Amino acid sequence: MNATPQRRFAIAGAGLLGRLTAWHLLRDGHAVSLYDAGDLDTPPAAAWTAAGMVAPLAETVVSERSVYEMGQMALDRWPGWLAELQASELWHQHGSLVVAHPQDGNELIQFRRDLADTLGEGALYQELDGSGIHHLEPDLTRFRHGLFLADEAHLDNRELLTRLLGAIRELGGECHAHTPVKVHPGEVTTPTGTHHFDLVIDCRGHGAKTNHPTLRGVRGETLHVTTNEITLTRPVRLMHPRYQLYVVPKPNGRFVIGATSIESEDRSPISLQSSLELSSALYTLSPAFAEARILEQGVNLRPAFRNNLPQVTLSDGLISANGLFRHGYLLAPAVVEHLLSEIRGHGDNPFADLLDGSAPRRPCRESE
Amino acid sequence: MHTQSPHDDALVLYEERFNSRFLLGTALYPSPQVMQDAIEAADCAMLTLGLRRQNPGGGNADGDGDAFWQILRESGCHLLPNTAGCRSAREAITLAEMSRELFDTPWIKVEVIGDDYNLQPDPFGLLEAARELVEQGFKVLPYCTDDLVLCQRLQEAGCQALMPWGAPIGTGRGLMNRYALRTLRERIDVPLIIDAGLGAPSQAAEAMEMGFDGVLLNTAVAKARRPAQMSAAFARAIEAGREAYLAGLMERRQTASPSTPTLGQPFWHATP
Repeated sequence: MNATPQRRFAIAGAGLLGRLTAWHLLRDGHAVSLYDAGDLDTPPAAAWTAAGMVAPLAETVVSERSVYEMGQMALDRWPGWLAELQASELWHQHGSLVVAHPQDGNELIQFRRDLADTLGEGALYQELDGSGIHHLEPDLTRFRHGLFLADEAHLDNRELLTRLLGAIRELGGECHAHTPVKVHPGEVTTPTGTHHFDLVIDCRGHGAKTNHPTLRGVRGETLHVTTNEITLTRPVRLMHPRYQLYVVPKPNGRFVIGATSIESEDRSPISLQSSLELSSALYTLSPAFAEARILEQGVNLRPAFRNNLPQVTLSDGLISANGLFRHGYLLAPAVVEHLLSEIRGHGDNPFADLLDGSAPRRPCRESE
Repeated sequence: MHTQSPHDDALVLYEERFNSRFLLGTALYPSPQVMQDAIEAADCAMLTLGLRRQNPGGGNADGDGDAFWQILRESGCHLLPNTAGCRSAREAITLAEMSRELFDTPWIKVEVIGDDYNLQPDPFGLLEAARELVEQGFKVLPYCTDDLVLCQRLQEAGCQALMPWGAPIGTGRGLMNRYALRTLRERIDVPLIIDAGLGAPSQAAEAMEMGFDGVLLNTAVAKARRPAQMSAAFARAIEAGREAYLAGLMERRQTASPSTPTLGQPFWHATP
């Protein structure tokens, strides 16, 4: 591990990618300075707002096959990484459930069709009737049809981000909160001066927009509620013709319900309409949620390129990784492995063709 | 009878000419890249966009609008803002005024929703909004039901084109009430665009064969597994339907009548 000579790295952006990369590089024996424009304990990162699902099948339906393949790496890497962080209890691999109300049964059919179309027949799900659903989630009594995606997982994402920060500090990583930066090859400029490094890694998500002309933010809104009247063991997705929402159980009777997806870079608080959609979805899942207390509303911008897939751009002295969109916890392991193998000059790099953003991308259509 | 060649057969809305009869919506695509490809394959006359929820420029200090709007502008297509999500005439009017400022366009698709579950247009609110917006100089394209009297009132209000539904938004059920739609086509003499409810290119072709002037759709393309391929399929179906209408469909008959008379020809039975 310590065979590589020590190098000095700067990482801009202390979200999920930034923290994971910092942690790995510190463990390789390098020196790391981590910068974030916001707070580190309650970071402004999309990863803090996210629900922390690792759902390769369900997410493939809204994207493409590569997301499934990169997601397989997530299922493979997260348990090991969490064990090394002594945080195995944050990982929950109990599958996920996809349900629809009887009048929206076609949404389940479309979901199955889309899965089969992307991944081939015999995709890894199990069809459930009412008693099958009840068996898995005794508190869900209203549904007669559903799908069980047995491999899927979720993790306690906020606690994970906190543990990663603790590990980074313990390994001697230098952490700079409330420090907006400008990045250049081998250089980071903070409000107080310019600092030199062997390599700068830009993981700022939407914060790096000025460096990426085609990066955009996609507004997502969530609610955090708490109740002890209902227990869920796994994420539940509710398919509906107009919106697809999910609820993810968190420790201590807490649930995250999300998320809207609005093509806007507006960070203002959640709208009344979104809040109604999210809470009525939750209520139709089980009326036991009626007395849940709303603890928090979350609004953030998912960083996305035009194809909604991540991109890593490599140049001398500067690497940028961005565009994980709505798939942060699902795609971060593949993106981090890619970064690490580029930095180490060896290692697994199965997604190089997919992630490499240095190759010229297809130009946008010219105006007529 | 119609003798027009399809080559000089432009769609004319409010005295503006369009070379395509396909109007495409911009919601629900898996990614902007996929949407861009679908727009390109559609070669469409107009792109509709909702601004109720997608607040362009919201929280964006540089003032050039959000990234998504830039992508739509780059398409080079005519933009048709809509008032999707409005539930009263007042809301729709206010939103139309905002969109005129934001997009610097007098075009507006007026949508006033009367029922939340099937998103059925509210004819009363729609008529009220259309009157006011026509008065204000907007080029109003009202999204309406297939009710004849409503369509007549909208025309009297000054709408120079109407957009009756085929079926409720997003259902993909095609032309649900052919009788009503045929009546509209016979009785209304401004351009009629079938808006909403189409799920398959054959349904679009049918609408065009019936003499409708154009088709507006979104879900059928956005939710297809390969949206660009589907929008190309719709584009061809719309053209085919239009040409068939111009060519003049034959009337249906009860009795079979072979196109090549065989009976009575010498050697008819000896064909190799």
